[in-house]
Amino acid sequence: MTNNDIIHTEAIVKNYKDNGVVVAAVRGIDLAVKAGEFTAVVGPSGSGKTTFLNIISGLDTPSSGSVRLKGKLVSAMKGKELSDFRRDHIGFIFQAYNLIPVLTVEENIEYIMMLQGVPRARRHARVMEILEDVGMAEYAGRLPSKLSGGQQQRVAIARAMVSRPDLILADEPTANLDSATGAALLDMMRELNQKTGMTFLFSTHDAMIMERADRVITLKDGVVVSDHYARP
Amino acid sequence: MLFYIKLAWRNIFRNKRRTIIAGTAIGIGLASLIFTGAMMKGMETNMMQAATASFLGEGQVHGVGFRETQAVETVVTYADDVMAKLRMEPLVDKVTARTLSMAMITAPSGVNGVLLVGVNPETEKDLSQMDDTIQKGVYFEGHNGRDIILGSKLAEILELGLGDRVVVTVAQAHSGDLSQEMFRVSGIFHFNLKEMDSGFAFIRISKAQQMLGLGNAVHQVAFRFKQIKNSIDPALPLWKSYSVKGNEAVSWMEILPQMKAVADMNSMSVIMLVVILGAVVTFGIINTLFMSLYERMFEFAVLRAVGTRAGGLRKLILFEAGALAVVSIGIGLILGFILTAIFVKVGIDYRGLEFAGTTIKDMIYPEMELWQFIVFPIGVFFFTMVVGIYPAWVAGRLNVADALRKSL
Repeated sequence: MTNNDIIHTEAIVKNYKDNGVVVAAVRGIDLAVKAGEFTAVVGPSGSGKTTFLNIISGLDTPSSGSVRLKGKLVSAMKGKELSDFRRDHIGFIFQAYNLIPVLTVEENIEYIMMLQGVPRARRHARVMEILEDVGMAEYAGRLPSKLSGGQQQRVAIARAMVSRPDLILADEPTANLDSATGAALLDMMRELNQKTGMTFLFSTHDAMIMERADRVITLKDGVVVSDHYARP
Repeated sequence: MLFYIKLAWRNIFRNKRRTIIAGTAIGIGLASLIFTGAMMKGMETNMMQAATASFLGEGQVHGVGFRETQAVETVVTYADDVMAKLRMEPLVDKVTARTLSMAMITAPSGVNGVLLVGVNPETEKDLSQMDDTIQKGVYFEGHNGRDIILGSKLAEILELGLGDRVVVTVAQAHSGDLSQEMFRVSGIFHFNLKEMDSGFAFIRISKAQQMLGLGNAVHQVAFRFKQIKNSIDPALPLWKSYSVKGNEAVSWMEILPQMKAVADMNSMSVIMLVVILGAVVTFGIINTLFMSLYERMFEFAVLRAVGTRAGGLRKLILFEAGALAVVSIGIGLILGFILTAIFVKVGIDYRGLEFAGTTIKDMIYPEMELWQFIVFPIGVFFFTMVVGIYPAWVAGRLNVADALRKSL
């Protein structure tokens, strides 16, 4: 592990029971991701991508092995400590946007800062700033139901980034979007990555993401079968 | 906290129909409680009035031991003073004196035992409903000391009508000698109470005192308060202040303990209704909350993923239960008020029903009181929050990874 590593995993294994049968979703992954990388984790369905990302973020616990984020042993954290760590250091972008439907765009984005105890005025200022970055400033007062899929995903990106986390985990962020919208979003995320230095880690099948990624890690049957930098 | 309250309030209206239906179900429960509470209060008041207004009075003063022995010698000590003082009491409305003795009444067709009551016609009609219950004849007109008023059932048994002669025999106080007098039936009353209609006979008090050798003494001073609630206040100083010098002052509740039992039964009925309605409401709330919970598992997983603590999610669910309670209480208060107000106006007709020694003479009107609109809603709110603990606990134990995986 180097000082510049945002993520460091050692021998991650994850088994779970499915109808009484033990399934090995991840079979021993060692990985280091540096700060600022724009990395895609690819592989067919069932390769363990989503499970691996869940373990990195602390949403799931490994059966064995360790995960460090910014040097902190995430795999040993529990309860409030883990929730607070995720709140402060990790942003999430999901395939199905998952905005809270009864909250406006602004309220959805400010939610994490509300959890962090940021005062209202600062929250508003930061939300408007990030909405400008994602091109959604005029939609601050709208409900998600009034937005298109692409717009909702922009808001989801803004939500993930608003508290300036160290790491953004994106699980199939373009899966529900048409290719043009998906491409535009990816270009925007790439731009934000370069502008802010936030690390982006994608779990994806999408070739468009692979084309834009600095590094592509391929999983198959729970192990890394290839790991190469597309760009130095 | 305010954010969760705002989110909870908006969440329960995501499915307006379900919330309105669940809220109405709980609200109907609350409305039933309000109405039942008002109805029970009205019934209690009605039965109190029926019990006390017909003949009993709201309070009585006797010589100590008279209620147990009914001994003719046991009279109210210093009765004139007692009556004078009672008439001066600010809380007391009406006062009357009576003699009470067992007697034999002999008619051509038979003989019957009765309770012979000597009354002052003027003061008696102010306190009891004697004059209103006369079915045939008159209520002590003129000054004829040989007038006697019998119960309708007694008259039937002895085959007596107006103007018929009867002989009344009593045992005199102190000596025990028998005293007999002839009377003429001047009136027949009908209280619609079997005990009174078959077992009571009324004559003028002066005649009764003479027959019983009492002089000016009386067995009972009955009185009525200006406000009936004073009659059920055991801490009222009046009871003690007239329970002196060989007398005891008691309220109608002690004279008719079965009425207190009725009041206790009413309270128990309300408690049982609360329990039954509570069980119905419990399942309604849990069903609604769990349906809403399972529909939003992925959303909760996302909230946990972005950093919401388990306790935060539990708070959210509890606030949703609270919001549902508020909606339900609003609906219930409106329904309860309307339902109760209708019957406060039109009343409920149980007239003629004999219960616990009294006959319901008047329509029963529910009595709306402020506490019904405060205590019951607070109970519903508290109950809903308690019931919401289980779904909140389940939400907090959500396995985030499983919820994210199953929902995709």
